[in-house]
Amino acid sequence: MNHRRNPTRTATRGLRLALVTAAAAGLLLGACSRPANMEPPHVDVPTPLPSGIDFTPEASPAAPDNSCNPLASYNPGSVTAEQARANLNDPGQISIGVSQSTNLMGYLEGDTLVGFDIDIATAMVQAVMGDATKVKWVPMTSGEREQALADGRVDMVVRTMSITCERWENVEFSTEYYRAGQRLLVTKDSGIEGLAQMTKDQSVCTGASSTSVGNIAAVNAEVQPVTVPDFNDCLVLLQQGTVDAIAIDDTILAGMAVQDPTLQIVGDTFSQESYGIAFAKGDTDLARFVNGALEGVRANGAWQTAYDKWLKGPLGTDAAPVTVDYRD
Amino acid sequence: MSVQSPPAQAQAPAPVAAPVSGPRRFDRTLASLRYTPGQLRGLLAVLAALILGAGVTGMTAILAKSAVIEETTSQSGRLSVAALQLYQALSQADATAASSYLTAGTPSDDVNLTYREALRDATVALATAAGEVKTAADTALVAELNTQLPVYTGLVETAKTFNRLGEPVGATYQEQASTLMRDEMLPRANDLQDNALGQLSESREDAEAFPWAAAVLVVLALAALVWTQMWLSRKTNRTFNLGLVGATVLLVGFAGWLATASLASANHTDRSHEDGARPLALLAQAEMTAQQARAEESLILIARAEDQQALERYDENIEELTGSGGLLEQLEDAFAGDADQTDLIHDAQDAADTWSTGHDEAVKLAREGEFQAAVTLVTGSDEQSMTASFDALNDALTAATRTSADGFVEATGDAQRSLYGAAAGLAILALAALISAAVGIQMRVAEYYA
Repeated sequence: MNHRRNPTRTATRGLRLALVTAAAAGLLLGACSRPANMEPPHVDVPTPLPSGIDFTPEASPAAPDNSCNPLASYNPGSVTAEQARANLNDPGQISIGVSQSTNLMGYLEGDTLVGFDIDIATAMVQAVMGDATKVKWVPMTSGEREQALADGRVDMVVRTMSITCERWENVEFSTEYYRAGQRLLVTKDSGIEGLAQMTKDQSVCTGASSTSVGNIAAVNAEVQPVTVPDFNDCLVLLQQGTVDAIAIDDTILAGMAVQDPTLQIVGDTFSQESYGIAFAKGDTDLARFVNGALEGVRANGAWQTAYDKWLKGPLGTDAAPVTVDYRD
Repeated sequence: MSVQSPPAQAQAPAPVAAPVSGPRRFDRTLASLRYTPGQLRGLLAVLAALILGAGVTGMTAILAKSAVIEETTSQSGRLSVAALQLYQALSQADATAASSYLTAGTPSDDVNLTYREALRDATVALATAAGEVKTAADTALVAELNTQLPVYTGLVETAKTFNRLGEPVGATYQEQASTLMRDEMLPRANDLQDNALGQLSESREDAEAFPWAAAVLVVLALAALVWTQMWLSRKTNRTFNLGLVGATVLLVGFAGWLATASLASANHTDRSHEDGARPLALLAQAEMTAQQARAEESLILIARAEDQQALERYDENIEELTGSGGLLEQLEDAFAGDADQTDLIHDAQDAADTWSTGHDEAVKLAREGEFQAAVTLVTGSDEQSMTASFDALNDALTAATRTSADGFVEATGDAQRSLYGAAAGLAILALAALISAAVGIQMRVAEYYA
């Protein structure tokens, strides 16, 4: 009889074995659910870029609107310092809008503002107030300049501000106190001597204004323009080798060139930016008096001293004050 | 019984040596089922299959739950923790690099040490994450972060060097470093963390799921056991078969343990999520937002208050932190009913308000030509400085994080404890039930051959 029991028992045992094996296999599979080997991912070479950089900016080579004869300001005439001070927001102190972040023009070094704009402005304070210390410096961005004058936050603005017909609508301008223009900043060993000889494989960085791109295109239509919202980023891009040159106002380029001995400014200026001191609309007495004071700094060598101190070395050229024009 | 063999032979007219034994054995088994002992053995096979099935699936479910909970609690080697640490360390590195730029060369330059510590934490977290990633997308994120981190530190060091030389371009390098961090690195760290949290919440749902397969098998096994006993008592006129009764009791115990352990652990896991993981994520988010606001604040001063976008980004971060419906408010809601934690969040709110007021004052100073006073207000070490209120905010959030983390560990510990011994216990119960049923049936079968 024993042999008859065997088949059934074997079947049960086999069934049991199969179940346990399946369960064990299930457990093992659960424990070993590791991913299959993955391909190494493709990663681009990381190039740090400033936010808002534009490799295909729009160029508008429109000629500047000079219909209003923008460089002609008010004749000094016989306005006195007292008349000039009449409209000051604070009679004991003139407040002046400046930059504190534009190297060589208006820059805060420690606790002191220094630069070409600051030297010119200080001479104006001396003339208007009779005391160069009766001044309140108000640092501001370039976008704030016109509004600050309109709001009465400042009495005048000396901050690399170009005289244009459009701005004449909102502010009064002094005569031109400095003539800047776009030039080229390159590395010394690049062999680039001017914008015209740059090739289509080279790129040139400038600020995000369509006119500066247009000015570049007017000289060299082949070279690739690159714009950044803050032109300071151009210097970093040049140092990192992302661009081959920078084409912005020579005053700004000078401030960059002094920071890096391997860079130099080359070529001629290929655009014209005429810097003026701005006043609130209607504040013509102050404008007239400042125009007189500007004649003074041109005549007594103060202008020349300031230029030689800040800009002559980095720009590599001598310069003299421009002749000015009056509208009356 | 002699009928067993001939049909099998008839069905296999051309006998081949090996394959015959299988069908023949099966036919014999079928035939044996016509008689009580065979039927008893058949029943035993069914019972054994059901009890074993219930035992194995129950045990597997409990083991899987334990593994998932283990995965949520173990403090090292996990992607979500590494990703969170990475995100935090990167935010902190950026905040400290920026304020270190302002304080360079002054006695309060210990932020530079914090910067290097944050970088170490970020590197370690990145290495840990690299070992833990399981998807191609995560691998790519880790690889990209790995290529960007040295670029970031390079920019920061270049900024430092130019800063020491007094060259303004240092500020631009520092801004570019922060742009890289803000626009490229932090979003990737955030993605990595989101992916990891997504994977974790999937596993959490698994851990909370009721083991239905095991439950169904247990019910079937119990039904089969009860039916067998009724059938046997009819056949043998004996009310009880001790072995089968024992198996039934053991199986009822099995079912009770399985249900209790599963429900209790699901409850604790759920609690660990609601009271632990969710507030922890909010707290981490608040800390990182504060770090980013701090970085923007420094950038504003580095740009001599002439960076409008940094001003706007600072406002956005503070709004996200303290605005209505912001992170601190959400935390207040999450901690409703917990007085200690609510107090800490109130401390954080006060510190954030003080910071915000001081920040406005600092920006005003910077824009009115008192730049050094603004820098001192923002980065100085006295009580009125923004450093003090930022640290107070951070301390409050860190303290709340510690308590929440303890609650999380406790809840997951409870979840794990409710599973303690369950896997082994269920296995023993199922095995005992199986043996008991086998003994009970085998005793009846033996009676036929006695």
